Amino acid sequence: MSLLLEARALQKNYGRITALADVSLNLRPREILAIVGESGSGKTTLLNVLAGRIAPDAGEVFYNGAPLSALGELKLRKLQRSRWGFIQQDPRAALRLDVSAGGNIGERLMAAGARHYGEIRATARQWLNAVEIDPERLDDMPKFFSGGMLQRLQIAATLVTEPEIVFMDEPTGGLDVSVQAKILDLIRGLVRRLGLAVVLVTHDIGVARLLADRLIVMRHGRIVETGLTDQVLDDPHHEYTQLLVSSVLPA
Amino acid sequence: MDGYNFAYLDEQTKRMIRRAILKAVAIPGHQIPFAGREMPLPYGWGTGGIQVTAAIIGPDDVLKVIDQGADDTTNAVSIRRFFARTAGVRTTTKTAEASVIQTRHRIPETPLRADQIIVYQVPMPEPLYKLEPSRAAAKRRHALADYGEMHVKLYEDITRFGRVAVAYDHPVMVNERYLMSPSPIPAFDNPKMHMMPALQLFGAGREKRIYAVPPFTEVKSLDFEDHPFHPGRAEQKCALCGGTKSYLDEIVIDDQGGRMFACSDTDYCESRRA
Repeated sequence: MSLLLEARALQKNYGRITALADVSLNLRPREILAIVGESGSGKTTLLNVLAGRIAPDAGEVFYNGAPLSALGELKLRKLQRSRWGFIQQDPRAALRLDVSAGGNIGERLMAAGARHYGEIRATARQWLNAVEIDPERLDDMPKFFSGGMLQRLQIAATLVTEPEIVFMDEPTGGLDVSVQAKILDLIRGLVRRLGLAVVLVTHDIGVARLLADRLIVMRHGRIVETGLTDQVLDDPHHEYTQLLVSSVLPA
Repeated sequence: MDGYNFAYLDEQTKRMIRRAILKAVAIPGHQIPFAGREMPLPYGWGTGGIQVTAAIIGPDDVLKVIDQGADDTTNAVSIRRFFARTAGVRTTTKTAEASVIQTRHRIPETPLRADQIIVYQVPMPEPLYKLEPSRAAAKRRHALADYGEMHVKLYEDITRFGRVAVAYDHPVMVNERYLMSPSPIPAFDNPKMHMMPALQLFGAGREKRIYAVPPFTEVKSLDFEDHPFHPGRAEQKCALCGGTKSYLDEIVIDDQGGRMFACSDTDYCESRRA
Protein backbone atom coordinates (compact mmCIF):
# COMPACT_ATOMS: atom_id res chain seq x y z
CA MET A 1 0.00 0.00 0.00
CA SER A 2 1.20 3.51 -0.76
CA LEU A 3 2.38 5.81 2.00
CA LEU A 4 0.19 8.70 3.08
CA LEU A 5 2.76 10.40 5.23
CA GLU A 6 6.44 9.73 5.47
CA ALA A 7 9.08 11.32 7.66
CA ARG A 8 12.76 10.95 6.83
CA ALA A 9 15.57 11.67 9.28
CA LEU A 10 13.86 14.47 11.16
CA GLN A 11 16.05 16.62 13.36
CA LYS A 12 14.95 19.40 15.68
CA ASN A 13 16.85 21.18 18.41
CA TYR A 14 15.72 23.80 20.87
CA GLY A 15 19.03 25.41 21.73
CA ARG A 16 21.18 22.69 23.30
CA ILE A 17 18.18 20.43 23.85
CA THR A 18 17.57 17.79 21.22
CA ALA A 19 13.84 17.34 20.65
CA LEU A 20 14.10 15.07 17.60
CA ALA A 21 17.12 13.06 16.51
CA ASP A 22 17.04 11.10 13.26
CA VAL A 23 13.34 10.28 13.41
CA SER A 24 11.83 8.43 10.44
CA LEU A 25 8.37 6.93 10.20
CA ASN A 26 5.58 5.99 7.79
CA LEU A 27 1.83 6.33 7.91
CA ARG A 28 -0.42 4.37 5.57
CA PRO A 29 -4.02 5.24 4.63
CA ARG A 30 -6.58 4.32 7.32
CA GLU A 31 -3.86 3.48 9.82
CA ILE A 32 -3.78 4.60 13.45
CA LEU A 33 -0.27 5.24 14.66
CA ALA A 34 0.37 6.05 18.32
CA ILE A 35 3.45 7.86 19.57
CA VAL A 36 4.11 7.11 23.23
CA GLY A 37 6.80 8.26 25.58
CA GLU A 38 7.28 10.25 28.75
CA SER A 39 7.01 14.02 29.01
CA GLY A 40 9.87 15.71 27.19
CA SER A 41 10.56 12.74 24.93
CA GLY A 42 9.80 14.84 21.84
CA LYS A 43 6.49 13.28 20.90
CA THR A 44 4.54 16.53 20.71
CA THR A 45 7.35 18.16 18.74
CA LEU A 46 7.23 15.21 16.35
CA LEU A 47 3.47 15.61 15.95
CA ASN A 48 3.83 19.32 15.22
CA VAL A 49 6.55 18.67 12.66
CA LEU A 50 4.46 15.97 10.95
CA ALA A 51 1.47 18.31 10.85
CA GLY A 52 3.55 21.08 9.27
CA ARG A 53 3.16 23.38 12.25
CA ILE A 54 6.89 23.43 13.00
CA ALA A 55 9.65 23.20 10.40
CA PRO A 56 12.34 20.60 11.21
CA ASP A 57 16.01 21.66 11.36
CA ALA A 58 16.85 18.80 9.02
CA GLY A 59 14.99 15.97 7.34
CA GLU A 60 11.72 16.12 5.46
CA VAL A 61 8.07 15.18 5.77
CA PHE A 62 6.38 13.83 2.63
CA TYR A 63 2.62 13.85 2.04
CA ASN A 64 1.54 11.56 -0.79
CA GLY A 65 5.17 11.52 -1.85
CA ALA A 66 5.58 15.32 -2.06
CA PRO A 67 7.76 17.19 0.45
CA LEU A 68 5.89 19.60 2.75
CA SER A 69 8.64 22.20 2.51
CA ALA A 70 8.03 22.56 -1.24
CA LEU A 71 4.29 23.06 -0.78
CA GLY A 72 4.34 26.76 0.11
CA GLU A 73 2.49 28.41 2.95
CA LEU A 74 -0.82 28.86 1.17
CA LYS A 75 -1.16 25.24 0.07
CA LEU A 76 0.01 24.00 3.46
CA ARG A 77 -2.64 26.11 5.20
CA LYS A 78 -5.32 24.81 2.88
CA LEU A 79 -4.19 21.27 3.57
CA GLN A 80 -4.25 21.84 7.31
CA ARG A 81 -7.71 23.36 7.12
CA SER A 82 -9.37 20.71 5.00
CA ARG A 83 -7.54 17.46 4.24
CA TRP A 84 -5.83 17.39 7.64
CA GLY A 85 -7.15 17.91 11.12
CA PHE A 86 -5.52 18.64 14.45
CA ILE A 87 -7.15 17.81 17.77
CA GLN A 88 -5.55 19.45 20.76
CA GLN A 89 -5.55 18.36 24.34
CA ASP A 90 -7.26 21.57 25.45
CA PRO A 91 -10.35 22.23 23.31
CA ARG A 92 -10.55 25.76 24.74
CA ALA A 93 -7.39 26.62 22.82
CA ALA A 94 -8.82 25.33 19.54
CA LEU A 95 -12.43 26.52 19.71
CA ARG A 96 -13.91 29.99 19.70
CA LEU A 97 -15.71 30.08 23.03
CA ASP A 98 -17.83 33.13 22.21
CA VAL A 99 -18.99 31.73 18.88
CA SER A 100 -21.90 29.27 18.85
CA ALA A 101 -21.31 25.54 18.47
CA GLY A 102 -22.65 25.75 14.92
CA GLY A 103 -20.26 28.58 14.08
CA ASN A 104 -17.34 26.59 15.42
CA ILE A 105 -18.23 23.55 13.35
CA GLY A 106 -18.91 25.71 10.31
CA GLU A 107 -15.60 27.56 10.55
CA ARG A 108 -13.60 25.03 8.55
CA LEU A 109 -16.37 24.79 5.97
CA MET A 110 -16.46 28.56 5.56
CA ALA A 111 -12.66 28.72 5.44
CA ALA A 112 -12.88 26.19 2.61
CA GLY A 113 -15.33 28.42 0.76
CA ALA A 114 -18.82 27.30 1.87
CA ARG A 115 -21.16 30.28 1.39
CA HIS A 116 -24.60 28.81 1.96
CA TYR A 117 -25.86 29.49 5.48
CA GLY A 118 -28.57 26.84 5.44
CA GLU A 119 -26.26 24.08 4.24
CA ILE A 120 -23.52 24.96 6.73
CA ARG A 121 -26.10 24.83 9.49
CA ALA A 122 -27.49 21.49 8.39
CA THR A 123 -24.01 19.99 8.26
CA ALA A 124 -23.18 21.35 11.71
CA ARG A 125 -26.36 19.80 13.09
CA GLN A 126 -25.45 16.40 11.60
CA TRP A 127 -22.02 16.58 13.19
CA LEU A 128 -23.36 17.46 16.62
CA ASN A 129 -25.43 14.33 16.29
CA ALA A 130 -22.41 12.31 15.22
CA VAL A 131 -20.44 13.33 18.31
CA GLU A 132 -23.46 12.74 20.54
CA ILE A 133 -24.22 16.31 21.50
CA ASP A 134 -27.90 17.27 21.51
CA PRO A 135 -28.44 19.07 18.15
CA GLU A 136 -30.67 21.52 20.01
CA ARG A 137 -27.45 23.04 21.40
CA LEU A 138 -26.41 24.16 17.91
CA ASP A 139 -26.75 27.84 18.84
CA ASP A 140 -25.31 27.58 22.36
CA MET A 141 -21.96 29.08 23.27
CA PRO A 142 -19.21 26.54 24.00
CA LYS A 143 -18.31 28.47 27.15
CA PHE A 144 -21.36 26.83 28.73
CA PHE A 145 -20.23 23.32 27.68
CA SER A 146 -18.55 20.79 29.98
CA GLY A 147 -14.98 19.61 29.35
CA GLY A 148 -16.13 16.39 27.68
CA MET A 149 -18.63 18.22 25.46
CA LEU A 150 -15.96 20.72 24.46
CA GLN A 151 -13.72 17.88 23.35
CA ARG A 152 -16.60 16.36 21.36
CA LEU A 153 -17.20 19.73 19.78
CA GLN A 154 -13.55 20.05 18.83
CA ILE A 155 -13.73 16.60 17.22
CA ALA A 156 -16.84 17.61 15.25
CA ALA A 157 -15.29 20.94 14.21
CA THR A 158 -12.18 19.08 12.98
CA LEU A 159 -13.84 16.16 11.22
CA VAL A 160 -16.48 18.28 9.46
CA THR A 161 -14.29 18.61 6.35
CA GLU A 162 -13.82 14.80 6.36
CA PRO A 163 -10.04 14.94 6.55
CA GLU A 164 -7.68 12.23 5.43
CA ILE A 165 -5.25 12.51 8.35
CA VAL A 166 -6.03 13.64 11.88
CA PHE A 167 -3.26 14.53 14.31
CA MET A 168 -4.26 14.13 17.94
CA ASP A 169 -2.32 15.44 20.90
CA GLU A 170 -3.48 13.72 24.11
CA PRO A 171 -7.15 13.98 23.07
CA THR A 172 -8.39 12.57 26.37
CA GLY A 173 -5.88 14.24 28.68
CA GLY A 174 -7.43 16.24 31.48
CA LEU A 175 -10.79 14.44 31.37
CA ASP A 176 -12.10 12.20 34.10
CA VAL A 177 -12.03 8.46 33.48
CA SER A 178 -15.67 7.85 32.55
CA VAL A 179 -15.71 10.79 30.12
CA GLN A 180 -12.37 9.63 28.76
CA ALA A 181 -13.83 6.21 27.99
CA LYS A 182 -16.77 7.73 26.09
CA ILE A 183 -14.53 10.03 24.06
CA LEU A 184 -12.22 7.14 23.18
CA ASP A 185 -15.20 5.09 22.12
CA LEU A 186 -16.41 7.97 19.96
CA ILE A 187 -13.01 8.50 18.36
CA ARG A 188 -12.63 4.80 17.65
CA GLY A 189 -16.05 4.64 16.03
CA LEU A 190 -15.64 7.76 13.89
CA VAL A 191 -12.13 6.92 12.78
CA ARG A 192 -13.13 3.49 11.57
CA ARG A 193 -16.34 4.67 9.95
CA LEU A 194 -14.67 7.55 8.07
CA GLY A 195 -11.53 5.56 7.29
CA LEU A 196 -9.20 8.18 8.73
CA ALA A 197 -5.49 7.88 9.22
CA VAL A 198 -4.52 9.07 12.67
CA VAL A 199 -1.29 10.05 14.35
CA LEU A 200 -1.99 9.97 18.06
CA VAL A 201 0.32 11.29 20.75
CA THR A 202 -0.31 9.95 24.22
CA HIS A 203 1.49 9.07 27.41
CA ASP A 204 -1.34 6.71 28.32
CA ILE A 205 -0.50 3.15 27.32
CA GLY A 206 -4.15 2.19 27.73
CA VAL A 207 -5.28 4.74 25.16
CA ALA A 208 -2.64 3.52 22.73
CA ARG A 209 -3.65 -0.11 23.23
CA LEU A 210 -7.30 0.71 22.64
CA LEU A 211 -6.91 2.82 19.50
CA ALA A 212 -3.64 2.19 17.73
CA ASP A 213 -2.65 -0.32 15.06
CA ARG A 214 1.01 0.53 15.35
CA LEU A 215 3.12 2.07 18.07
CA ILE A 216 6.22 4.19 18.23
CA VAL A 217 8.06 4.54 21.52
CA MET A 218 10.14 7.67 21.92
CA ARG A 219 12.77 8.66 24.40
CA HIS A 220 15.08 11.69 24.40
CA GLY A 221 13.96 12.58 20.88
CA ARG A 222 14.73 9.16 19.41
CA ILE A 223 12.54 6.26 18.38
CA VAL A 224 13.59 3.38 20.63
CA GLU A 225 11.05 0.83 19.52
CA THR A 226 8.37 0.46 16.89
CA GLY A 227 5.94 -2.28 15.87
CA LEU A 228 2.37 -3.50 16.06
CA THR A 229 0.66 -2.29 19.23
CA ASP A 230 0.03 -5.70 20.78
CA GLN A 231 3.49 -6.87 19.87
CA VAL A 232 5.24 -3.90 21.46
CA LEU A 233 3.09 -3.80 24.57
CA ASP A 234 3.00 -7.55 25.23
CA ASP A 235 6.59 -8.28 24.33
CA PRO A 236 8.59 -5.08 24.79
CA HIS A 237 12.20 -5.40 23.69
CA HIS A 238 13.80 -2.13 24.65
CA GLU A 239 14.40 -1.64 28.35
CA TYR A 240 12.68 1.74 28.32
CA THR A 241 9.55 0.21 26.77
CA GLN A 242 9.66 -2.49 29.40
CA LEU A 243 9.79 0.19 32.07
CA LEU A 244 6.95 2.11 30.44
CA VAL A 245 4.71 -0.94 30.17
CA SER A 246 5.44 -2.10 33.72
CA SER A 247 4.71 1.39 35.06
CA VAL A 248 1.02 1.18 34.14
CA LEU A 249 -1.08 0.99 37.28
CA PRO A 250 -3.29 -2.08 37.44
CA ALA A 251 -6.97 -1.12 37.31
CA MET B 1 -1.45 82.17 6.51
CA ASP B 2 2.01 83.31 7.60
CA GLY B 3 4.38 80.77 9.05
CA TYR B 4 2.58 77.78 7.59
CA ASN B 5 3.16 75.89 4.39
CA PHE B 6 0.27 75.56 1.94
CA ALA B 7 -2.29 73.15 3.48
CA TYR B 8 -0.40 72.97 6.80
CA LEU B 9 1.88 69.97 6.10
CA ASP B 10 5.44 70.56 4.85
CA GLU B 11 6.20 69.48 1.28
CA GLN B 12 8.41 66.56 2.35
CA THR B 13 5.57 65.07 4.39
CA LYS B 14 3.13 65.55 1.52
CA ARG B 15 5.47 63.70 -0.82
CA MET B 16 5.70 60.83 1.67
CA ILE B 17 1.91 60.65 1.89
CA ARG B 18 1.53 60.88 -1.90
CA ARG B 19 3.90 57.96 -2.32
CA ALA B 20 1.72 55.94 0.07
CA ILE B 21 -1.37 56.99 -1.88
CA LEU B 22 0.19 55.93 -5.20
CA LYS B 23 1.02 52.53 -3.78
CA ALA B 24 -2.48 52.23 -2.36
CA VAL B 25 -4.07 53.04 -5.71
CA ALA B 26 -1.81 50.50 -7.41
CA ILE B 27 -2.95 47.74 -5.05
CA PRO B 28 -6.69 48.33 -4.50
CA GLY B 29 -7.80 47.64 -0.93
CA HIS B 30 -4.30 46.94 0.39
CA GLN B 31 -3.25 48.90 3.47
CA ILE B 32 -0.08 50.94 3.09
CA PRO B 33 1.70 52.14 6.25
CA PHE B 34 2.72 55.80 6.31
CA ALA B 35 4.53 58.03 8.75
CA GLY B 36 1.47 59.79 10.13
CA ARG B 37 2.15 63.19 11.63
CA GLU B 38 0.73 64.82 14.71
CA MET B 39 -2.11 67.04 13.55
CA PRO B 40 -3.73 69.91 15.43
CA LEU B 41 -6.78 67.82 16.26
CA PRO B 42 -7.21 64.66 18.37
CA TYR B 43 -7.02 61.10 17.05
CA GLY B 44 -10.47 59.93 16.10
CA TRP B 45 -11.44 63.32 14.74
CA GLY B 46 -10.09 62.73 11.27
CA THR B 47 -6.31 62.99 11.54
CA GLY B 48 -5.88 60.39 8.80
CA GLY B 49 -8.36 61.97 6.43
CA ILE B 50 -6.99 65.46 6.99
CA GLN B 51 -3.44 64.35 6.12
CA VAL B 52 -4.61 62.66 2.92
CA THR B 53 -6.59 65.76 1.98
CA ALA B 54 -3.61 68.02 2.76
CA ALA B 55 -1.40 65.89 0.52
CA ILE B 56 -3.70 66.00 -2.52
CA ILE B 57 -5.39 69.41 -2.32
CA GLY B 58 -4.31 72.18 -4.68
CA PRO B 59 -5.14 75.92 -4.83
CA ASP B 60 -7.85 75.34 -7.46
CA ASP B 61 -9.66 72.63 -5.56
CA VAL B 62 -13.06 73.11 -3.99
CA LEU B 63 -13.42 71.30 -0.68
CA LYS B 64 -16.48 69.81 0.96
CA VAL B 65 -16.30 68.17 4.39
CA ILE B 66 -19.08 66.10 5.90
CA ASP B 67 -19.50 64.36 9.22
CA GLN B 68 -22.31 61.76 9.38
CA GLY B 69 -23.59 63.27 6.14
CA ALA B 70 -23.91 66.79 7.56
CA ASP B 71 -21.93 69.85 6.51
CA ASP B 72 -22.76 71.82 9.65
CA THR B 73 -21.46 69.56 12.44
CA THR B 74 -18.43 70.52 14.55
CA ASN B 75 -15.98 68.16 12.92
CA ALA B 76 -17.00 69.15 9.40
CA VAL B 77 -17.00 72.87 10.14
CA SER B 78 -13.60 72.85 11.84
CA ILE B 79 -11.84 70.78 9.15
CA ARG B 80 -13.37 72.91 6.38
CA ARG B 81 -12.23 76.07 8.17
CA PHE B 82 -8.79 74.53 8.75
CA PHE B 83 -8.22 74.16 5.00
CA ALA B 84 -9.83 77.49 4.21
CA ARG B 85 -7.23 79.12 6.48
CA THR B 86 -4.14 77.00 5.80
CA ALA B 87 -4.65 76.48 2.05
CA GLY B 88 -6.97 79.33 1.16
CA VAL B 89 -9.07 76.97 -0.96
CA ARG B 90 -12.69 77.56 -1.81
CA THR B 91 -15.08 75.45 0.26
CA THR B 92 -18.60 74.36 -0.48
CA THR B 93 -21.41 72.33 1.00
CA LYS B 94 -22.69 71.25 -2.43
CA THR B 95 -21.59 67.77 -3.44
CA ALA B 96 -21.73 68.56 -7.16
CA GLU B 97 -19.45 71.62 -6.82
CA ALA B 98 -16.71 69.94 -4.79
CA SER B 99 -13.57 68.45 -6.29
CA VAL B 100 -12.37 66.96 -3.00
CA ILE B 101 -14.81 65.61 -0.41
CA GLN B 102 -13.56 64.56 3.00
CA THR B 103 -16.06 62.41 4.85
CA ARG B 104 -16.69 60.71 8.13
CA HIS B 105 -19.24 57.86 8.16
CA ARG B 106 -21.14 58.63 4.94
CA ILE B 107 -20.97 58.73 1.15
CA PRO B 108 -23.04 61.58 -0.32
CA GLU B 109 -26.35 60.62 -1.92
CA THR B 110 -25.52 62.54 -5.09
CA PRO B 111 -23.49 60.17 -7.29
CA LEU B 112 -19.83 61.19 -7.50
CA ARG B 113 -18.09 61.90 -10.80
CA ALA B 114 -14.75 60.93 -12.28
CA ASP B 115 -13.31 64.41 -11.61
CA GLN B 116 -13.93 64.13 -7.88
CA ILE B 117 -11.97 62.50 -5.05
CA ILE B 118 -13.55 61.27 -1.83
CA VAL B 119 -11.36 60.98 1.29
CA TYR B 120 -12.64 58.78 4.12
CA GLN B 121 -11.67 59.19 7.75
CA VAL B 122 -10.93 55.70 9.10
CA PRO B 123 -10.72 54.77 12.78
CA MET B 124 -9.76 51.08 12.30
CA PRO B 125 -8.39 50.12 8.88
CA GLU B 126 -7.93 46.41 9.67
CA PRO B 127 -11.11 44.46 8.82
CA LEU B 128 -9.72 41.33 10.52
CA TYR B 129 -8.96 42.86 13.88
CA LYS B 130 -11.87 41.26 15.72
CA LEU B 131 -11.02 37.87 14.32
CA GLU B 132 -7.25 38.08 14.47
CA PRO B 133 -5.82 40.12 17.35
CA SER B 134 -2.24 39.88 16.04
CA ARG B 135 -1.42 42.44 13.36
CA ALA B 136 1.37 40.24 12.00
CA ALA B 137 -1.02 37.29 11.63
CA ALA B 138 -3.62 39.56 10.01
CA LYS B 139 -1.04 40.69 7.44
CA ARG B 140 -0.27 37.06 6.65
CA ARG B 141 -3.95 36.40 6.08
CA HIS B 142 -4.11 39.34 3.68
CA ALA B 143 -1.02 38.09 1.87
CA LEU B 144 -2.58 34.64 1.47
CA ALA B 145 -6.10 36.00 0.81
CA ASP B 146 -7.15 33.74 3.68
CA TYR B 147 -10.51 35.30 4.55
CA GLY B 148 -12.89 32.35 4.87
CA GLU B 149 -13.33 32.75 8.59
CA MET B 150 -14.73 36.27 8.16
CA HIS B 151 -17.98 34.51 7.45
CA VAL B 152 -18.00 33.06 10.99
CA LYS B 153 -19.01 36.49 12.23
CA LEU B 154 -21.75 36.81 9.64
CA TYR B 155 -22.91 33.28 10.48
CA GLU B 156 -23.21 34.25 14.14
CA ASP B 157 -25.24 37.34 13.27
CA ILE B 158 -27.75 35.40 11.22
CA THR B 159 -27.98 32.76 13.95
CA ARG B 160 -28.61 35.31 16.68
CA PHE B 161 -30.56 38.02 14.92
CA GLY B 162 -31.93 36.31 11.83
CA ARG B 163 -29.98 38.61 9.54
CA VAL B 164 -26.52 40.13 9.21
CA ALA B 165 -26.57 42.72 11.97
CA VAL B 166 -23.56 44.68 10.78
CA ALA B 167 -25.22 48.06 10.27
CA TYR B 168 -22.00 49.88 9.50
CA ASP B 169 -18.39 49.04 8.54
CA HIS B 170 -19.62 45.96 6.69
CA PRO B 171 -16.44 44.36 5.25
CA VAL B 172 -15.98 44.34 1.47
CA MET B 173 -13.83 42.46 -1.03
CA VAL B 174 -12.03 44.85 -3.35
CA ASN B 175 -11.19 43.76 -6.89
CA GLU B 176 -11.67 40.10 -5.84
CA ARG B 177 -8.45 40.24 -3.85
CA TYR B 178 -8.22 42.28 -0.65
CA LEU B 179 -10.66 42.34 2.20
CA MET B 180 -11.20 45.96 3.20
CA SER B 181 -12.95 47.96 5.87
CA PRO B 182 -15.15 50.55 4.13
CA SER B 183 -14.73 52.73 7.28
CA PRO B 184 -17.81 53.12 9.50
CA ILE B 185 -20.18 54.06 6.69
CA PRO B 186 -23.65 52.50 6.93
CA ALA B 187 -24.12 49.27 5.01
CA PHE B 188 -26.58 51.36 2.95
CA ASP B 189 -23.60 53.15 1.39
CA ASN B 190 -21.60 50.03 0.52
CA PRO B 191 -23.14 49.58 -2.95
CA LYS B 192 -22.10 53.14 -3.84
CA MET B 193 -18.44 52.13 -3.60
CA HIS B 194 -18.87 49.53 -6.32
CA MET B 195 -17.67 50.85 -9.69
CA MET B 196 -17.62 54.41 -8.38
CA PRO B 197 -16.23 56.83 -11.01
CA ALA B 198 -14.48 58.91 -8.32
CA LEU B 199 -11.18 57.97 -6.69
CA GLN B 200 -11.70 56.76 -3.11
CA LEU B 201 -8.90 57.33 -0.59
CA PHE B 202 -8.89 56.15 3.03
CA GLY B 203 -6.73 57.62 5.79
CA ALA B 204 -6.32 56.16 9.28
CA GLY B 205 -4.33 58.58 11.44
CA ARG B 206 -3.94 56.69 14.69
CA GLU B 207 -3.22 53.39 12.92
CA LYS B 208 -1.07 55.15 10.30
CA ARG B 209 -2.48 53.37 7.26
CA ILE B 210 -3.63 54.57 3.85
CA TYR B 211 -5.62 52.52 1.36
CA ALA B 212 -7.58 53.23 -1.77
CA VAL B 213 -10.16 52.08 -4.27
CA PRO B 214 -9.35 53.33 -7.78
CA PRO B 215 -12.20 54.50 -10.02
CA PHE B 216 -14.41 51.80 -11.53
CA THR B 217 -13.21 49.02 -9.22
CA GLU B 218 -15.32 46.11 -8.10
CA VAL B 219 -16.32 46.31 -4.43
CA LYS B 220 -18.40 43.44 -3.09
CA SER B 221 -19.93 43.22 0.39
CA LEU B 222 -19.47 39.87 2.15
CA ASP B 223 -22.62 37.75 2.38
CA PHE B 224 -24.10 34.25 2.13
CA GLU B 225 -25.78 32.82 -0.97
CA ASP B 226 -29.03 32.30 0.91
CA HIS B 227 -28.68 35.52 2.92
CA PRO B 228 -27.59 38.10 0.34
CA PHE B 229 -26.17 41.45 1.42
CA HIS B 230 -28.94 43.85 2.33
CA PRO B 231 -28.22 47.58 2.52
CA GLY B 232 -30.31 48.61 5.49
CA ARG B 233 -32.41 51.76 5.60
CA ALA B 234 -35.16 52.98 7.95
CA GLU B 235 -38.53 52.28 6.31
CA GLN B 236 -39.58 55.93 6.57
CA LYS B 237 -39.53 59.05 4.47
CA CYS B 238 -37.62 62.20 5.26
CA ALA B 239 -39.75 64.60 7.32
CA LEU B 240 -38.11 67.58 5.61
CA CYS B 241 -37.86 66.70 1.91
CA GLY B 242 -40.11 63.64 1.76
CA GLY B 243 -37.31 61.56 0.26
CA THR B 244 -37.76 57.79 0.30
CA LYS B 245 -34.44 56.74 -1.23
CA SER B 246 -31.89 58.49 1.01
CA TYR B 247 -30.31 57.29 4.23
CA LEU B 248 -32.21 58.66 7.23
CA ASP B 249 -31.20 59.77 10.71
CA GLU B 250 -33.65 59.25 13.53
CA ILE B 251 -33.71 62.44 15.58
CA VAL B 252 -35.27 62.83 19.02
CA ILE B 253 -37.03 66.21 18.99
CA ASP B 254 -38.49 66.62 22.47
CA ASP B 255 -38.63 64.87 25.83
CA GLN B 256 -42.11 63.45 25.14
CA GLY B 257 -40.79 60.62 23.02
CA GLY B 258 -41.26 62.60 19.82
CA ARG B 259 -38.93 61.78 16.97
CA MET B 260 -38.50 62.44 13.32
CA PHE B 261 -36.62 60.90 10.42
CA ALA B 262 -34.57 63.19 8.23
CA CYS B 263 -31.95 62.76 5.50
CA SER B 264 -28.48 62.36 6.99
CA ASP B 265 -27.07 64.02 3.86
CA THR B 266 -27.97 67.67 4.52
CA ASP B 267 -26.92 68.91 1.08
CA TYR B 268 -29.09 66.29 -0.67
CA CYS B 269 -32.04 67.20 1.55
CA GLU B 270 -31.66 70.95 0.95
CA SER B 271 -31.31 70.54 -2.80
CA ARG B 272 -34.59 68.60 -2.86
CA ARG B 273 -36.39 71.27 -0.88
CA ALA B 274 -35.02 74.21 -2.93
